[in-house]
Amino acid sequence: MCFRCCELNRRSLLIGGGAAAASLATGVAQARIRPADMHPLIGPGFRPTDRDEIGLWQQMDRVEEEVAGSNLLIKDPELIRYLQQRIGEVGGPAAKDMRIYLARIPDFNAVMFPSGFSVIFSGLLLRMRNEAQLSGVIAHESGHFLRRHMIRMWRDMRRKSDIFAIGAMVAGVAGAGAGVNTGDITQLAQLGTILSLFRYNRVMEAEADAMGVRLLAENGYPPIEMANTWEQLIGEQDASARHRRKRRDRGYSLFSTHPAPGARMADLKVSAAEATVPGRAYDNRRGRYLQAISPIRKTLLDDQVKLNDPGASQYLIETLARDGWNGLLRFYEAEVWRLRNRSGDDVRAAQGYAIAVAYADAPPEAWRWHGLSLMKAGRQAEARAALSRYLSMQPNAADAPFIRQMIS
Amino acid sequence: MRHLGIALVLALTVPVAGCVQTRQFADLQFTPPQGDYRLLVMRPDVTVNSVTTGGMPEPRADWTEQARANIIAALRAQQAERGGKVQIMARRNELRGVSEDMVADLERLHGAVGNSIALHKYLGAYLPTKPRRGLDYTLGAEAVELGRKTGFDYALFMHAEDNIVSRGRVALQVLGIAGCFVGFCAPNIGGGGQFAYASLVDLKTGEVVWFNVVQTGSQIAGLKMGDIRSPAGSAQLVERLVGRMKPGYEIRRARERR
Repeated sequence: MCFRCCELNRRSLLIGGGAAAASLATGVAQARIRPADMHPLIGPGFRPTDRDEIGLWQQMDRVEEEVAGSNLLIKDPELIRYLQQRIGEVGGPAAKDMRIYLARIPDFNAVMFPSGFSVIFSGLLLRMRNEAQLSGVIAHESGHFLRRHMIRMWRDMRRKSDIFAIGAMVAGVAGAGAGVNTGDITQLAQLGTILSLFRYNRVMEAEADAMGVRLLAENGYPPIEMANTWEQLIGEQDASARHRRKRRDRGYSLFSTHPAPGARMADLKVSAAEATVPGRAYDNRRGRYLQAISPIRKTLLDDQVKLNDPGASQYLIETLARDGWNGLLRFYEAEVWRLRNRSGDDVRAAQGYAIAVAYADAPPEAWRWHGLSLMKAGRQAEARAALSRYLSMQPNAADAPFIRQMIS
Repeated sequence: MRHLGIALVLALTVPVAGCVQTRQFADLQFTPPQGDYRLLVMRPDVTVNSVTTGGMPEPRADWTEQARANIIAALRAQQAERGGKVQIMARRNELRGVSEDMVADLERLHGAVGNSIALHKYLGAYLPTKPRRGLDYTLGAEAVELGRKTGFDYALFMHAEDNIVSRGRVALQVLGIAGCFVGFCAPNIGGGGQFAYASLVDLKTGEVVWFNVVQTGSQIAGLKMGDIRSPAGSAQLVERLVGRMKPGYEIRRARERR
C-alpha cells in the first residue's frame, strides 16, 4: 500500500492465478470516490480478530522489527516526533495506533503496512513544499489502514483465485466429459482475474485519496495541496524525461496498480473543492514544516543531486524555490549543473556558486566550489579569500589539508 | 482402454509423487560437534501457512506459534542427546553483554550469506573457481566477537516453513484425479510441503562450517510428508535437518584411509 509504488508482486498473482470468467474484469474508466462517502472502518486500538488477519499481522510484526532496526532509517528524534505528530493529527480514529519510520531513500514514496506502521522515504520530505502536502501523503497512507485495504485486498485475491481454480477444474472436467478443450477459455479467465485484481487495487488507491482529502480538510489543512503534490510529481517526471529526450511514462494501463497520476490529480482537485468549507480558514503550516526538516534538508538535496537525474533535480529545486530562494537551494542548483557537465555547464555552475555565496545561509561547500571555480578562472586572490572562508566555516573538513596547501 | 491407461499411469505416479530431499554441504575440515560444546541457536524463523483453494499461502498465527514451540522443544531434545549445552534464543535481547543490534546485524548478515550459499550451492549457479572446496563462507569478525563475548562455540541459524493444504484444495485435487477418468487429468496440483534450512557457524573462526536444506513435498495436494504442527512432525524435521551431520570431505577421506 504505497503512495506510488511500481513494484508489484507478480509472483503472488501468478500463484493466485485467475478467476472464473473474464466478465469479472470491467472497463478501464472508474468513477471518482467522494470524500464524504469515506468513513473509517476501524476504531481506536484496533486488533485483528479474524484468522487470516491475525496471521498477516503476526508476519508484519517481524517485518516491523526489521524495519525498526534498519540502518537505512533516519533517527533524528525531533524529526521523528514531528512526523509522529502528523500521523497523530490526520490518522483519524487510529491516530494513536500507527507508527511511522523515516528511511533514507531519495525517492518519492511512502508505504503503509497492514499492521499500521508506515515508512516514509526521505525523498518525500525533500519534495513537499509545506506541512499540508506532507500531511496529505500521510493521510492517504492512514486511509489505507483506516479502510482496512490490505486485508480486503488479500481476501479479494484469495476469493478470485479460489473461484478461478475451481472454475478451471470444473470447466476442464466438464469439458472433457463433453469432449471440448477448455484451455483457451481458462487462459482468458486467468487474464480476466488478473485484470480484476489490478482494478481492485486502483479502487483502493482512489479510496485512500478520498479518505486523505477528508482527513486533511478536517484538520484545517487546505485539501487542494494533495492535488498540488501530484502536479509537482507530474512536472518532475516530465522534466526528467525531457532531459533524457524521452516521454514520461503515462502510467496507465490495464496492469497498473495505481490510477494514472493525471487522473488522480484531476479527481483530487474535484474532491478538494468538495471538502473545502467556505469561510473556514485553512493553513498549510509551511513555516513549521521547514523548521522541522531543516536539520536534514541539506542531506536530502545532496542525495537528490547525486542521483544523476539533472532534469528532475533542477525541476525540484526550482519548485522549492517558488517559495523563495536561499543559499542552500542556489548551491545545489549550481551542483546540478556541475555534475551534469555539458558544454558551458562549468561557467553556469561557477556563476551559480557566486550567486549562492551572496546569501547569508550559503553552506560551506558553496564557498569551497566558489573558490575552486575562481581559481580555475585565474582569479587567485579572490579564490584564496573564498577558500579561507570555507576553511573557517569547516576547519575539520576531510579536504582541509589540501585546501590549506592550495592557498598557502 | 484409453482411460484405463491413464489410471494405470496415475497409480504409478501417485506413490512417487511425494518426496523428501535433503542435501548438506560442509567445510572440508568439518567434524560434527560432539561431547562438551556450547551451542547458541539463533531465534528459529518458523512459519506455517495454510494453502488456499486457489493456491495462495496464507500465514496462520496459531499454527506458527505451535510449530515454533515444537521445533524448539525438538531441537533441545535432539541436542541433549549429543551432549552439548544449548541456549535457544526467543528474542534478540536476551544475551548478556551483547546488544540487540549486534544480534540483528548478525542475523541479517547470515541472511545474505545464506542466500549466497543457496544460490551457488543449490540453485545451480556453481562457482567455477571454487570446485571441491566444500563450504567456503564466513560471517567474519562479528561472529567471532559474539563467540568471545558469550562463550559459545557454535551458532545455529534455522529457518522452517510448512504449507498445509486447505480442505478446499484437497477437494480440488480429488476432482483433478477423478477427472483423469474422463480425460481431463490434473493429478498433481500440489501446493503443500515443507522447506527448511539450517546453518552452523563456528564462533571461533566465524566460518559457516555446515549447511543443510530439507525440502519435502508432494505433487498431490493433501498428501503430507510431515507436519511441524505436531511434536512428532517437528522432531522429524529437526532430525532430517540437523540429525545426521556429515563430516567434511577431507575428514571423511582420512577416516576411509584408516
